[in-house]
Amino acid sequence: MKKYKNKIRLVNMLLDALCGLKKAKSQHLQGKLEEFSHKCTEAAKESHIFYAAVEKNWFRAAEKIKTRVNRNLNDFSYHLQQFKNMADSDETKSPKLAVIFADLMQIEDEFGELNFDLKAQTVSVTTDPIALDDISFGSFEIRLSINEMSKLYTDSPYKVIALEPNPAGSDSCVTHPHVSSEKLCEGDGHVAIRKAIEQGRLCDFFMMVANILQTYNPDSPYVSLDDWEGISCYDCGYTVAGDECYYCEDCERDYCSQCSTYCQICDTTICLGCSFECPDCEQPVCQRCTVTCSECEETVCKDCVTEEGLCKQCEEQRKENSDEEQKEESTEVSKTVPAVQSDSVGQTIVHA
Amino acid sequence: MRILYVNNHGGGFADFINVEESTNIEKLFKQKMPHENSADYLIRVNRQPVPKDYVLKENDRVTITPTKIDGAACCLKQHTA
Repeated sequence: MKKYKNKIRLVNMLLDALCGLKKAKSQHLQGKLEEFSHKCTEAAKESHIFYAAVEKNWFRAAEKIKTRVNRNLNDFSYHLQQFKNMADSDETKSPKLAVIFADLMQIEDEFGELNFDLKAQTVSVTTDPIALDDISFGSFEIRLSINEMSKLYTDSPYKVIALEPNPAGSDSCVTHPHVSSEKLCEGDGHVAIRKAIEQGRLCDFFMMVANILQTYNPDSPYVSLDDWEGISCYDCGYTVAGDECYYCEDCERDYCSQCSTYCQICDTTICLGCSFECPDCEQPVCQRCTVTCSECEETVCKDCVTEEGLCKQCEEQRKENSDEEQKEESTEVSKTVPAVQSDSVGQTIVHA
Repeated sequence: MRILYVNNHGGGFADFINVEESTNIEKLFKQKMPHENSADYLIRVNRQPVPKDYVLKENDRVTITPTKIDGAACCLKQHTA
């Protein structure tokens, strides 16, 4: 008996929400009407300005106004169409308590169980495990927030929650090709789902959402099934298979082969952003395999420094300097040696 | 004879319609959705599955829901219908 009592409370809650939704629809229509009338006012203003410009023979100004009016015509027709669509839609009759109650009973028949939380004002069902093209996504909970039903025209009042998530390798928020951040993109079901909620046909709503989850539209997924297991390159976004991606140990992210390299000294895999090209040998190395030259303070790879901590350029410079010093020294020595040769060197004793 | 006809295909139609006496559910489906295959739809009469030769009665509630609906990856669009 308590079960039915709670269900009747739930039905009353839904009836109140549907009443709120009706008001929200009217407010939405009012908003469209205001947008449309604003556009009309703008057009009237343009008409006055155009008239004045023509009267004063300001044809250049008139031409500019004409161009602006022409540009605004598309916008105008959009607002007109929006308003017309809202105004044309049938008046939604509020369902009776018994009809919604019967709907809730049908939900139990179709899904096996109906879960509701009167405090949180949510009603939900759980789908069967879903698999598309041999990829399993587990079961989903379709949770309708009763107190958010009035946001139907601006936001989604329900969530699609993966209970055993198998998210896409490239985006952990995508738990199904058509679900991102627990929001379903309804595609072809958009209008019918909204009508079902408006009319309080909750069973139809849950069934349509469940049927979208059972269908894969290869033309417009958040992540295609072909790329589901892959990992997205952090740099270029290209999806690669799990065993073909490269993990940068410096920034701790995954990259494709084009956006990664390896350190020529320690063989560590690094991304292009974290790699450093040695100015001497022009080879990529990781940051750990770089040193600063003690002379010029330029960063080079470990292989391009001497034991004294000098880069190639500084080493060459030092060599050149020392050679020059040696040359200078030898020149100075030759200058200081006397012109007379020393004893026993090239001299012969001649006896008289 | 008047029945409540709910079609969740496309724009989502839900209203009372008139059908001939002794129309069965298969005939109604063919009339309303001549190019569709009934196997692709969940058909319920008075919230229950029925055989295809079920003969419709006054005030019956017929619901047709596609089993395959293409989702997408678009952002939420504003309601236009």
